[in-house]
Amino acid sequence: MEILNYVKKLEYLQLTRNLNKCVLTPILRCASIASKRDHNETETDDFKPLNLRHVKGQSNIRRPMRKIDALPPRTQQMAIDQDWGSVWPGPRTFHPATVPLPLRQGYVKKGETIPNKYGNAELMKIPNFLHLTPPVIKRQCEALKKFCTPWPKALDSDEKCEKHFPIEVASSNYCHSSPSIRDPLSRIITVKLRLSSLKLDKHAKDKFLRLVGERYDETTDILTLVTDRCPTKKQNYDYAMYLITALYHESLTVEEWEKLKSEADMEYYNWNDSKSKINVEKIFGKESKNISHIDEYSESISNLMNEGKQFFYLINLYA
Amino acid sequence: MLQSIFRECIIKSDIRLLSTVANIQLKERSPNFRCSESNPVNHTVDNLAQFYKIPKEDEKQLFSHGGLTKTFKTHCQTFNETCIMIRKPALDIINSLKHIDYSKPAYRFVIYGSNGSGRSLSLAHVVHYGYKAGFLLVHVPWVGDWMRRCKESSVSTLDESLTDLNLDAALWLTHFKNQNSHFLKEEQFKMSRDYDWNKREKILKGAPLSELIDFGISRVKYASQCVVVLADEIKKLSTSGICKTLVLIDGFNAFFHSNTRIFKEKKQIVPPNKVTLTKPFLNLTNFDWTNAAVVLCLDGIAIGQMDSPSEMPRYLLGKEGFEHVDPFVPIPVNNYNEKEFISCLEYYKDRKWIQQYYPELEKELAFVSNSNPFRLLEIVASL
Repeated sequence: MEILNYVKKLEYLQLTRNLNKCVLTPILRCASIASKRDHNETETDDFKPLNLRHVKGQSNIRRPMRKIDALPPRTQQMAIDQDWGSVWPGPRTFHPATVPLPLRQGYVKKGETIPNKYGNAELMKIPNFLHLTPPVIKRQCEALKKFCTPWPKALDSDEKCEKHFPIEVASSNYCHSSPSIRDPLSRIITVKLRLSSLKLDKHAKDKFLRLVGERYDETTDILTLVTDRCPTKKQNYDYAMYLITALYHESLTVEEWEKLKSEADMEYYNWNDSKSKINVEKIFGKESKNISHIDEYSESISNLMNEGKQFFYLINLYA
Repeated sequence: MLQSIFRECIIKSDIRLLSTVANIQLKERSPNFRCSESNPVNHTVDNLAQFYKIPKEDEKQLFSHGGLTKTFKTHCQTFNETCIMIRKPALDIINSLKHIDYSKPAYRFVIYGSNGSGRSLSLAHVVHYGYKAGFLLVHVPWVGDWMRRCKESSVSTLDESLTDLNLDAALWLTHFKNQNSHFLKEEQFKMSRDYDWNKREKILKGAPLSELIDFGISRVKYASQCVVVLADEIKKLSTSGICKTLVLIDGFNAFFHSNTRIFKEKKQIVPPNKVTLTKPFLNLTNFDWTNAAVVLCLDGIAIGQMDSPSEMPRYLLGKEGFEHVDPFVPIPVNNYNEKEFISCLEYYKDRKWIQQYYPELEKELAFVSNSNPFRLLEIVASL
């Protein structure tokens, strides 16, 4: 019986020890902290001031920034025989750690050398062609070759090309990494055409030029039509072709009202149709062909009238 | 600093005073800048850059109704004589007028040049020559007066679409009568056909030309029409060989400038080709007659462009005008050359117009005035 009590006692003690561990220790700890705090407060015996504006003293000390060490530039680890085309595959702004070239660029301050490539805005501003190195171009051409057909052997010179294919059509394609593969600018068609390739007579040419207006360049004899009013490239191309056809046939026709064209409507001063010629013929009483020095005279008058020069180089007829 | 400048000024003015003293002695040499010959017929290349005096009676007959510019007239009054420099353009025209074949269609001379270069005075020289050489003068002193500041305008009685400038026309008839009074007395100057003005007034064939002019002056209503008829008659007389005619028009380009200051009732601008007075003078400047010469003077001021972009005939006349006078003999009037410039200064010194003369003045004036006669006159006025 005694033994049983003892065991029970033991069990009880065990239990209390466990309980002590779980419950009593934290309570005791709390009590001791509280008693400590009480002790402190009673010691200073002061109110903590409410510092709204944080004027006095520093409320929180800023933690010093941990400096992250940059990795060394990639160029240091590059192999000499690396494939540059895959390092720099497309057009991109200059990056000093990627380009293994000791480049220098920019304004030279007094007593200093040219700024190096690191953090160099001058190098970043200018467009570069690092993605178009000769081996890369070669590789791309090789890749495109399977889509090409051989150049016609008969068209061996520019003249022949121009003769057989007088119309030059130009348009642009655009590549994006965007949700849409369509670019509105790709609809624009530019058609170039040498005017001499059209068979126009004097009247038709005059009318043609009046119809096209500024689209014709006199110095190169090239007509440039730009069509962009339709939504797709195909439609714009068709429209350009239609325009050329319409212009050509329209300029060939002679309307009834065109007979009313007077000297004021002439595109240039023609001495042979001018009043000046009539005057001269009347004065001399013979045809202009038979008058001496008439060529010089007519030429200077036409120059004066056509070129609009205010210079006066009228020769003296009677000298 | 200031003191030193002041001192320099004093020294300079001293030099000036000294130099004027020295020049008084120079002045006593024979005046090389004057031409004793007052008859333009006898002027030769040797007389270039010399001043000749227009006799009082000639001036009265030729220029009493215009022909000399206002500024020039005031100066003539100040100088107490009317002197014109003999210059190359006028002499060229005079020489060609002496030598051309008058049986050929009328020759046209066109005087042009920058403002103030002396076009009008060159024309005046030719007018004087024409008078002395026995030409019938058809002289329009200034077309700008008609087109830009006409005295009055009215709708023409004969043609509703035309506008008459009758007062101006009557004035011009007086001018014409005055200039050619010695001719009009002659018997040969007769009307070639009848003209009926209205039921009561008519001029019969064979009546003296002066009757037509007097009619135009007294019956101002018909003055414009009289000028038209007179132009026709002059052409006929000239072609038939009775007289040699010299047509002189200053500011001719005003006949072709669309902007005039003549207005219709509703303030519409009347273009020059709708003015009756334009017709006779375009008729006279045509080449379809003989025994005649035409001298035209172009001026930007006549069309209201004080600083016209160009002084060249093609610009001033426009296309229509250029074609009207083409072919013509161009006569450019330039600024003074060195000889003319010195001669002009000599003349001003002689007239006491320049009183403070010092040697550098010549260069200074040439630079400041760019040897332009009119600019020179303006600048020299204060010296």
